[in-house]
Amino acid sequence: MSYELIALLMFATMMVMLVTGQRVFGAIGFVATIFALLLWGKGAAEMPFASTITLLNWYPMLTLPMFIYMGYMLSESGIAGDLYRMFHVWTGPLPGGLAIGTTLLMVAISAMNGLSVAGMAIGASVALPELLKRNYDKVMVTGVIQAGSSLGIMIPPSVVLVLYGMIARQPVGQLWLAGVFPGLLLASLFVAYILIRCKLQPHLGPPLPLEERQQISWGERFRLLRAGIVPLVIIFSMTGLFLMGVTSLVESSAVGALMATLVAWYKGRITREVMRATLMKSLGVSCMFMWVILAALAFGAVFDGLGAVKAIEILFLDKWGLEPWQVLVLMQLTYILMGMFLDDTAMLIIVAPLYVPLIISLGFNPIWYGVLYTVTCQIAYMTPPFGYNLFLMRAMAPPEITIRDIYRSIIPFVLIMTLGLTLIIIFPQIALWLPSLYYGHIADPGL
Amino acid sequence: MSAEREQAAKPGMMPSPVRAYVRGVDAMNRAVGKVAMYGVFVMMGVLLFASVSRYVFNIPFLWVIEMAQFLMAAYYLLGGAYSLQMESHVRMDVFYERWAPRTRSFWDSITAFCLVFYLIYLLRGGFSSTAYALQYGQKNYSAWAPLMWPIKMIMTVGIGLMLLQAISVFFKDLARVIGREIE
Repeated sequence: MSYELIALLMFATMMVMLVTGQRVFGAIGFVATIFALLLWGKGAAEMPFASTITLLNWYPMLTLPMFIYMGYMLSESGIAGDLYRMFHVWTGPLPGGLAIGTTLLMVAISAMNGLSVAGMAIGASVALPELLKRNYDKVMVTGVIQAGSSLGIMIPPSVVLVLYGMIARQPVGQLWLAGVFPGLLLASLFVAYILIRCKLQPHLGPPLPLEERQQISWGERFRLLRAGIVPLVIIFSMTGLFLMGVTSLVESSAVGALMATLVAWYKGRITREVMRATLMKSLGVSCMFMWVILAALAFGAVFDGLGAVKAIEILFLDKWGLEPWQVLVLMQLTYILMGMFLDDTAMLIIVAPLYVPLIISLGFNPIWYGVLYTVTCQIAYMTPPFGYNLFLMRAMAPPEITIRDIYRSIIPFVLIMTLGLTLIIIFPQIALWLPSLYYGHIADPGL
Repeated sequence: MSAEREQAAKPGMMPSPVRAYVRGVDAMNRAVGKVAMYGVFVMMGVLLFASVSRYVFNIPFLWVIEMAQFLMAAYYLLGGAYSLQMESHVRMDVFYERWAPRTRSFWDSITAFCLVFYLIYLLRGGFSSTAYALQYGQKNYSAWAPLMWPIKMIMTVGIGLMLLQAISVFFKDLARVIGREIE
């Protein structure tokens, strides 16, 4: 049997396994193990365990539990709630103002955390009930929270860019800086969309009524701004100290986790219950991600053994005779398509090692590609039938929001993100300007 | 006590060794998980210590990075079984979500064999890797060069607990499919 056929068979088996609803790590791990045994016999019996050793040596993975813990600390302790009230009062008078405030809240959370889980948890627990109470359209707000929280993996710090950096062997500092403007670009596009849509259809997102606004004095409004100090302090002590070279990458995530705990403690928000919930949820989500990564590494190792990197290169360049930019677009499309049906973290681990060497050999800038990859990841996170944000939204949303609402809510935002992706492809400087400024050399997009 | 014995005799119950197994494994993994969840603080402490000692006192310690890596492995492998018990693991739930609880359990109890198969091979690899590390006194390739068997042993134990928990979850699904009480 040819290797291409085996690779296809592996994907097909994995799909069938996933459709049964078995836990993703179990399904992927099983397919990897059984194919390794069929292909290479008894010698491959220890391959599944070998990936635990690979993972053991991935030092940057430590950022994952740190960010997860930090996210739950911010959400469980109610610090994020204060921040939401600040945006609520200041952006409330605009059409769709509370949805815009929620987007800005998500930007602030994204700048403090490297995952989208934190934004989802905070959005669903703090912003969603408030928006529904004020007659915001439920489809609209569900979309805002999902799209907004997906910025968590783009705006630094970002765990997806850490993973990408490990796989592509690129400096994480440059990748993080490259994510700043694309992240802000996407956020601005979201805000523009909400503003225009709610101007045209005011019933989707009514501004705060005048009486309610008058109840809040200007003194109160400025007092609420103090909530904004918290993210600034956390961003400085985490990303700031990292970029200044004081802390290493992994240490900076621990500093962030410590700062979030200290702020919660300073505000008197740490109770037994908050601590218990934070620790338990952090353990659950960290284990979920780590076991998926573990199984995906085993799957990737089998692919590697099959020589899949070479096979893809031959297919794209020799058999189909594609131009470099066609390969690039095809890669993004296949990634979005596969990301719809497969687990997104697993996809990152399995697909990135196949695509990145090709991208580099075609002469594209790997830092820039990291940003494209992350936007694609954001889209994949949101697109049904499989997406983490969808999965989390379903778990966290109140019962009046149906699955249909959730599926419908993401359509405009996916279109906006595709527009953002296109802009970053056409104007690579959106991503590359900041890292080349900071690191003092002109990064070449390779176009 | 007598009430419990009466319950055991009632029909519609899973056999008592199975119930004892499920109860025992669940309690053990819950206890291990509740300890493992504090691992976050230990990791945080080690990393902060590394950054303070290096930057403030200018004393870099060789062992901190590997120590943090070992703690991470212990955290997710020892905590794994408890996370499985809490149903924290993501599934592709396009169809799964629409099924009745019993249908879900039916499919889970079948595909549980795949999960167990994977875990058995993980465990097997863990055993042989730990045995190798013990036999040859394997050390990590680094300046600190710590012995590898202690962490490998912890990892193998974590995988073993995961396997026990997967079997416990299987029994619970099976009980739901055949309509018997288990707890």
